[in-house]
Amino acid sequence: MIQAVNLVKSFGGVRRVDGVSIEVKKGEIFGLLGPNAAGKTTVIRMLCGIMQADSGTVMINNTSIEKAKREFGYVAQYFGQYAELSVWENLSFYAEMYGVKDKNHLENLLEKYQLTPFRDVDAGSLSGGYKRRLALVCALAHDPKVLFLDEPTAGIDPVTRKLLWDDFYALSAEGKTLFVTTHYMEEASRCHQLAFIAEGKMIAQGTPKSIKNALGDVVVYTYKQSYSPEVTQAIQGLDGVVLTNQFGDDLHIVTEKSLSQSAIETVISDITETSVSLRETEPDLEDVFIALTQGDVS
Amino acid sequence: MIMAIVKKELLQLRRDPRLMGLIIVMPLVLMILFAVALKLEPNNVKMAYLDEDQSFFSNLIKTGIWSDGYFEMYEVLTKEAIIEEIRSGRAKSGMYIAKDFSALLTENKQPHVQLYVDGTMPSLTTAMKYNSSAATDTDVTNDMYFLDEDAPNTVIADDPFIMDTEILFNPDEKETWFFLPGVIGVLIMQIALILTGITIVREREQHTLEQLFVTPISKTSFIIGKLLPYVIITLIDFYVILGVGWLFFDLPQPSSHLLLFALASIYVAVMISLGLLISLISQTQQQAMFVAIFIIVPSILLSGFIFPIEAIPSLVRVISYLLPFTYFVEIIRGLLVKKTLLVDLLYAYGALLGFVVVFVTGSILRFKQRL
Repeated sequence: MIQAVNLVKSFGGVRRVDGVSIEVKKGEIFGLLGPNAAGKTTVIRMLCGIMQADSGTVMINNTSIEKAKREFGYVAQYFGQYAELSVWENLSFYAEMYGVKDKNHLENLLEKYQLTPFRDVDAGSLSGGYKRRLALVCALAHDPKVLFLDEPTAGIDPVTRKLLWDDFYALSAEGKTLFVTTHYMEEASRCHQLAFIAEGKMIAQGTPKSIKNALGDVVVYTYKQSYSPEVTQAIQGLDGVVLTNQFGDDLHIVTEKSLSQSAIETVISDITETSVSLRETEPDLEDVFIALTQGDVS
Repeated sequence: MIMAIVKKELLQLRRDPRLMGLIIVMPLVLMILFAVALKLEPNNVKMAYLDEDQSFFSNLIKTGIWSDGYFEMYEVLTKEAIIEEIRSGRAKSGMYIAKDFSALLTENKQPHVQLYVDGTMPSLTTAMKYNSSAATDTDVTNDMYFLDEDAPNTVIADDPFIMDTEILFNPDEKETWFFLPGVIGVLIMQIALILTGITIVREREQHTLEQLFVTPISKTSFIIGKLLPYVIITLIDFYVILGVGWLFFDLPQPSSHLLLFALASIYVAVMISLGLLISLISQTQQQAMFVAIFIIVPSILLSGFIFPIEAIPSLVRVISYLLPFTYFVEIIRGLLVKKTLLVDLLYAYGALLGFVVVFVTGSILRFKQRL
């Protein structure tokens, strides 16, 4: 549904997107992951045709972007609706821009996304979550086949975020193709396909499961330990440790297989002066994400 | 799609009380403001003259007027041509000395010298009247008294000749006739430049442009949809302000309503397209505002709207002729006050059309449906 080959974009002589290729199949939710300033927004803007790539090609539904404009919708990272117009006026405006005249369809959309009570409210006075919904509804006015969502849940509370993702799944189940950028790991794990970019380069691509394996032949240990700089430093000093990762009271230690579990346990108990037993766990996306962006794994 | 954008623009305007104030209140405030006239001393005012007498005495008068550098004189062939020169704007004043001037003078019959002054700009008129009195100074007139040996008791007139001053086009020297036509242009310039100047840059700032660029609308439809509401609003504003001038400020009717409408349309097109260009080169609304002010202020000062162009040093006058407003002032004063013929205004109309072409081309080159 979406095919991008070798996209390159420079700003002021700096390559912000460097040879990114993406293929998204119909009905998929495709997640583009990366730290801030990795080039996610630039990539999505090039895919939508609102930013010209320096080189590379984009095809949507097997035609050029210009010809495919009616086939896709786009929700920008920032609220891009007219704050001084009402919810209904915004939706009607975008519908008219695509020549959609079916008022029932629009009313149904409002109903479906719980916006009917706010029909005549100024878009600017909606809460963050409803603003996102309005943006989504405006992008869906012409019933596109493909939907581009740039950080659709940034700054949104967890409950609303879950509701939005339920909507995304529903859209995907209807056969729409979704392209989402995010830096939330649990959202990434909900995507069918993932791509990791850092500093404008694609560093991993595949299903969440295959990406978890991207770390290669490593073991991940988890250990209950509140943050302690001494422990972290001591572990990182060991030969074979790929990275350590603190999640609240959990310390994740990613190591090569050559390093034995007992060696790590000894180092920790020397500092904490208690007996320590590590648990072997699956690597999660965050471990992979941090490892990949730090460039520890190629 | 065009109508969708037009509708959206009008809705946005209606929801923005500040902008509505700009459109309605500002013209009234400025109207009062500009009622206070400014005066400035000009020089090198063009004077068309005809000296049918060609005598020693008539030359004395011409040198008297010429000598202090206020007037710059050139000769025309007929008396009618003098007024025609002033009507066309090539001269601001004129002088006519009749064939029998020296004959009457030698008979002490107080001949008349006819001075014409363009009344469109009262401040200029006053200055011209003052400066032309140099011609009747004693330096000039000393040699003009004749003693008649045969009739020594004849009373010699106090003045050897009489200077008749006729103020053309605006005989009552009404300041409003001078200012109001220009005020209309200033107001239209402000409304058009500021409204259109921010129209695209605001969408850019509020991230709505990004959403618009994804839609299938074409570049031309987008621009037409964006500008159409402002063209109509500004054109209506033009006639509202003009109507106020006609109703309350005794502004004269134009020589041709068709020419006036042509001027209104072309001038609005100039300002709207300039506003569009400003909006396209600016990244923020502040930038757009500043660019607009950078155009408006010199327009007011250097166009001949307040100060006569004759009073502007020739180096700076180059800027005057690069400002569309200069041509507007020229045409509207011509149409309303002087009843100038189209032939003499063609170059000014042409200049305004030229500006439209330049600004529209610039906008098209500058506008890309991309971020």
